[in-house]
Amino acid sequence: MTETITMRDAKEIIRMQIEELARRNREPEWMTRLRYKGLEAFERAPHRDPVISEEELLQFIAKPEVEGIPEKIESLDDLPPEMKALLDKLGIDEVEQKYLAGLAVQTDTGVIYNQFLKEWEKKGLIVLPTEEAVRKYPDIVKQHFLRLFRVDESKLTAYHTAIWNGGIFLHVKEGLKVPFPLHLFFLIQESALAQAPHIIIIAEKNTEFHLIEGCTSPVLTRHSLHLDMTEAYFHENARGQLTVLQNWPEYVHTRPMTRAKIGKNARFINTTVTLGSGKSNIGDPHYWVDEKGYVELNGILLGQKDFYIDLGGRMFLQGRGAAGINASKAVIMDESTVITRGVITAEAPKTKGHISCDALLMSDKAVMETYPGLVSKVDDAELSHEAAIGKIREEELFYLMSRGLDEEKATQLIVKGFLEPMLKDIPMEFLVEIRKIIELAVSGGM
Amino acid sequence: MLKVENLHVSVEDREILKGVDLSVGSGEFHVIMGPNGSGKSTLALTIAGHPKYEVTDGRILFEGDEIQELGPDERARKGILLAFQVPPEVEGVKIIEFLQHVLIELKGMDPVEAYDLIVEKAKELWFREEDLHRYLNVGFSGGERKRLELLQAILIEPKLLILDEPDSGVDVDSLSVISRKIEELHRKGTAILLITHYGRILGHLDREKLRVHVMKDGKIVKTGSGELVDRIDREGFAGIFEEVGA
Repeated sequence: MTETITMRDAKEIIRMQIEELARRNREPEWMTRLRYKGLEAFERAPHRDPVISEEELLQFIAKPEVEGIPEKIESLDDLPPEMKALLDKLGIDEVEQKYLAGLAVQTDTGVIYNQFLKEWEKKGLIVLPTEEAVRKYPDIVKQHFLRLFRVDESKLTAYHTAIWNGGIFLHVKEGLKVPFPLHLFFLIQESALAQAPHIIIIAEKNTEFHLIEGCTSPVLTRHSLHLDMTEAYFHENARGQLTVLQNWPEYVHTRPMTRAKIGKNARFINTTVTLGSGKSNIGDPHYWVDEKGYVELNGILLGQKDFYIDLGGRMFLQGRGAAGINASKAVIMDESTVITRGVITAEAPKTKGHISCDALLMSDKAVMETYPGLVSKVDDAELSHEAAIGKIREEELFYLMSRGLDEEKATQLIVKGFLEPMLKDIPMEFLVEIRKIIELAVSGGM
Repeated sequence: MLKVENLHVSVEDREILKGVDLSVGSGEFHVIMGPNGSGKSTLALTIAGHPKYEVTDGRILFEGDEIQELGPDERARKGILLAFQVPPEVEGVKIIEFLQHVLIELKGMDPVEAYDLIVEKAKELWFREEDLHRYLNVGFSGGERKRLELLQAILIEPKLLILDEPDSGVDVDSLSVISRKIEELHRKGTAILLITHYGRILGHLDREKLRVHVMKDGKIVKTGSGELVDRIDREGFAGIFEEVGA
């Protein structure tokens, strides 16, 4: 930290960024006003982050970029050698490597949007960069933007509101069942702005979709703080899956903010695969579930080095017969820390909730903490939780080794097997890569 | 082929084997019997290299090399296989995937070749192809577990197969297929060291060709031919122990 940034400095920087965003996005006035609401709330909103102090947050606002990441990456040879070596080990082809290195990514904010999706637009599938959606469908966006969060909940929500940029707007119109997974990968490399994508998902009645965000390989990012916000709306009988894949480098702090409203008979499966060695990844998603709705929050975690993740997750079972599952499986290596604190609140009759948390500790310095919370406001809810934290069982390792597999290979199999049951909804191409990353991590090769 | 000399073994500082001598020549069929707690399983697990079993004295030789310092995987690669009394459940690891790894590692097969062989041999032990996509021993009955152990033996074709109570907790039908498969492996030249409480698993094997060892309190107290098995089935161990003054 070189110089002290005051609250007044930070607010001035945010103000200039709002002006810049308003001009560049040619956004309607209501959006700019909303951004200013964020700025106003910023000073008075509470800051409760367990890792980033208020001073650090102000510093970050003044200087969102990380030092030491090459300014311009023109060829793969400009990549830091460790990253190049890792991408080679993962067997990722050159085109994808370029993508991950930021070479093939627009420097402007925006998502990959191709001809294929334009065809589907006619059938009722709208996928747009959020900025574009604000211009193109202002009324719909307005009804769904920042409706599940309050601007002044925290300094981070206020800051996000003020300078959000990038993100996806997904709107599935009534009755449409999207037969293929939508894989959207976006990386914004514009240095002056913080990474704060805003994602809106609207699934109308009787729809189906599977959205996959991010990727399993490590990404060379220039930003140390990521503040993405996701708001999802599931109408009656909508069935959606959101799979988030992330593999952050050591210097990255993420604060994903996800909230979803799950309507009658709707179903939402929200799976997050977190790999790598990000310093902190703190999220506390909220889900409100209506009559006979169902939500499943699956967390698959592989933590290395000084990886730190603190996973909340609150489910409010508000309609009769609503159900929720909050399950996580963590493989914790080196000096990583994993904390889970899911809470399920039963507010209506005949609701069901279950929290489960399994962890495999791979080193003496690995830390796992779990604090399940079950709250019942009715007398006939079924709420339960289970947790198992332990090391690899000697009997299992001996069994596999007594068949001729060496310790490394046997350990890889056990670790992959431990996570396997949670990876049931991950498409094959990612599964192959995830398995390879687990193998490399177990062998200490990352 | 296998030579155990004056073997003393402790688990968590408690001595369990107190000087075992045993010699198994290639292609031979040995049976170990004895009451619970006499050290039979400890002997099997020690030969296979379980890290919990500490050799405090004596030696284990396999084909002339000392192996007591080797890891379980190295012993397996030398040709020793232990069929477990209670094989553990390994969550998330599919049988087919695991067996492919084993055949690639031990026999240098390619994955497709291994797959076909596994499916073919599995049928002989009543496993359908879809059963092989279940997780290793997870939710398996006693009979299924023991049949899966035998399947591994048949695929690996070890030089020495140690079977730790392949007949315990097994239904009658599984017992007969397991018994037949042990005979088959023996006929093909695998040396067998079988731990059991009952003679039934030995089926129609020629009693003359068996070497039977009776253990008590961490020692082999009597060695004889196959007739010993039938005698123990009839009379229990008391008479034998009295005879040898154990």
